[in-house]
Amino acid sequence: MSLTPSQLTALRALLDRVIPADDFPGALAAGTDNYVLRQLATDCAEEASFLLLGLTQLDAEALARHGPDQTFATLLSPQQDALLADLAAARPATAWPAPRAASTWFHRLVDLAQEGFYADPANGGNHDAASWRMLGYEPGTTPKPTAP
Amino acid sequence: MTTHHDVIIVGAGLAGGILAGVLAEGGRSVLLLERGRALAYSEIPGDHLRNHRLSLYGDNTTPESHGHPRVFVDPAGGEHSVLPHDSRYQLNAFTVGGGARVWGMQAWRFHPDDFRMATRYGVPAGSSLADWPIGYADLEPFYERAEHEIGVAGDHSGTTHAPRTRDFPLPPVSRSPSAEWLARGADRLGWRTVTPPLAVNTRPYQSRGACIQCAQCIGFACPTDAKNGSHNTLLPRALATGRCTLVTRAHASRVLTDTTGRAVGVEYFAPTTVDSATVERRTAHAHTVIVSSGAIESARLLQLSASPLQPHGLGNHSDHLGRHVQGHDYPIAYGLLPPDVEQSFLGPGVSVATTHFNHGNPGVIGGAMLANDFVKLPLIFWRQSLPPDTPRWGLANKRAMRDDFRRGIDVRGPVQEIPSPASRVTLDPSVRDTFGLPVARLSGTTHPETVRTAAFMRARAEEWLRASGADRIWSWPGEKKFSAGQHQAGTCRMSADPRDGVTDPFGRVHGHDNLFVCDGSLHVTNGGFNPALTIMALAFRTAEHILADQ
Ligand SMILES: Cc1cc2nc3c(=O)[nH]c(=O)nc-3n(C[C@H](O)[C@H](O)[C@H](O)COP(=O)(O)OP(=O)(O)OC[C@H]3O[C@@H](n4cnc5c(N)ncnc54)[C@H](O)[C@@H]3O)c2cc1C
Ligand code: SF4
Repeated sequence: MSLTPSQLTALRALLDRVIPADDFPGALAAGTDNYVLRQLATDCAEEASFLLLGLTQLDAEALARHGPDQTFATLLSPQQDALLADLAAARPATAWPAPRAASTWFHRLVDLAQEGFYADPANGGNHDAASWRMLGYEPGTTPKPTAP
Repeated sequence: MTTHHDVIIVGAGLAGGILAGVLAEGGRSVLLLERGRALAYSEIPGDHLRNHRLSLYGDNTTPESHGHPRVFVDPAGGEHSVLPHDSRYQLNAFTVGGGARVWGMQAWRFHPDDFRMATRYGVPAGSSLADWPIGYADLEPFYERAEHEIGVAGDHSGTTHAPRTRDFPLPPVSRSPSAEWLARGADRLGWRTVTPPLAVNTRPYQSRGACIQCAQCIGFACPTDAKNGSHNTLLPRALATGRCTLVTRAHASRVLTDTTGRAVGVEYFAPTTVDSATVERRTAHAHTVIVSSGAIESARLLQLSASPLQPHGLGNHSDHLGRHVQGHDYPIAYGLLPPDVEQSFLGPGVSVATTHFNHGNPGVIGGAMLANDFVKLPLIFWRQSLPPDTPRWGLANKRAMRDDFRRGIDVRGPVQEIPSPASRVTLDPSVRDTFGLPVARLSGTTHPETVRTAAFMRARAEEWLRASGADRIWSWPGEKKFSAGQHQAGTCRMSADPRDGVTDPFGRVHGHDNLFVCDGSLHVTNGGFNPALTIMALAFRTAEHILADQ
């Protein structure tokens, strides 16, 4: 299942608000978008169509709230945050497939983003251990293993 | 293909490895069957999404993610076919060494009263609370043996809940500053604390190195092989005798019995060659058979082995097989450390505990040991340990992670569960595994008394944080649920009278002279402690009994 260019743009804009950059890298600098894309193609393939549908719906939400020349990615950060807070609270401005679908969808993407960002770098969403550096966490499993 | 042995052991987990070691050193020829693989450290990934503490998409030891589902029945009666990494599966670990390959190593002796719960508290309605047919004194020498031969680090004079004669072979783990802070809080309350016993090499022991205090301990394999179990002690000793044959990727499918009920062997599926994808059915014959597959799979295997003499499963003459499933309800109180105390990230992490509330609590049955937690992975902290009013996303969430990760503290403990006969492992009537065998079906829920004791213990955990001076404290109410998981127990309870259980006090299946069960299945009750040291002590005791008797 592959994303349309506008779904990909919406995903990146969303991740940038879920884990924004500040003094420390955010989701995009840590490659969390790549983690989410990989999950959609593998472990989360069964959920993928719902998650992609929500990305399209995200642009529809931007349009419904801010006019026809807007997509989620073109909104200002405070507008994006307000929109996401509405979705989180199950207060969409457009019709979603089920009453609480907007909230379910958003929280699932939050989970995916955070798990990529805080997991080990080998999972692809925590490039250069960006989040672990922020927290001061290291697995500390070296010096070299001596176990068989 | 048919082979002949003195003893066949089904499962090379924590107990199976001990049985193999004692029996092979005692001169017996042993066939040890294990459905998982023998994994090197490098084959157990340090994956923070797929491990035995957080298994979102898989874990780091299960050999095959599909082909071996279980059926979980929810409280509304809904049936769910679940895979190993799903928490409803109640997985321990399928690999040589079993759960101990990745465990947290807490190695507690049960309290003497844990063996006589019915006598002490009476039998609540709807429960199957009962005394063990053996007492603490029967197990004491074997607890001591497990501590020395597996390798437990502990505080001899501080461990007072259970009488002991010999010191631990290894000095206790060092206390972190946050654990010292908790110990001072407990002092203020008049609660005695102890450094918990852990099966870890705090210094080199038995030719292996010491723990390097990494921050990725529970749920993962150990980089220095300092995490003690049978896989690095008794199992290598068994193999060194030349009398123990370990077959991995070998799934036992049936214990074979004759018309008198004697076990004659085991039927199993194994790859035609070590790494082959093709499996073949094999039969092995033995003088003695021991089932040591964990409380869920042992109960399943005995049911799969039904015979004309025992149509409902071996040992199921009195309808106890597969019932009384227990694990531990595990209440937790969370808090934030005051700014002048920092959380340490030196593993394993558990370094302060109290046994003050294991028994004698007003208005509730039993209780629990309480302790601080293992070093937490960042993602686990994000999922479980942020204050409840923290936004789940955005800058506020990121800042809370940054500020609170080094301030998070929690206290938790394994509540002694009140067994219920309705909590069960049966064979599912329709779902089959890859070999065409009915899978385990898990149904039932915890007894209400368990939930009451858990609520009491949650309040004690909060009280401890409060007295210590935590900045914020919160916790979540418990609920009734099917409980087994990593501490699974109770499905083949031992009993003096065959009408009251599945095995005799040595683990011999009633009515079957040479068939034994040895794992948490035997536990009549599961103690207010992590169960593995008791499982180990029983394994030493059963193995010695077999050497003397069989
Ligand atoms: C992450 C984690 C942390 C833990 N921390 C602690 C702790 O701190 N303290 C504590 O006391 N306990 C702890 N435990 C629990 C502890 O590991 C178990 O109590 C212990 O391993 C039980 O030993 P066992 O021999 O009964 O079963 P297991 O160790 O589960 O061994 C059973 C073996 O049988 C095999 N098997 C099953 N069915 C078959 C079959 N049909 N044919 C062949 N083989 C089969 C399995 O693959 C497995 O290897 C922890 C467990 C985990 C996973
Ligand atoms: S904390 Fe110690 S025992 Fe645990 S995995 Fe790390 S090195 Fe091994």
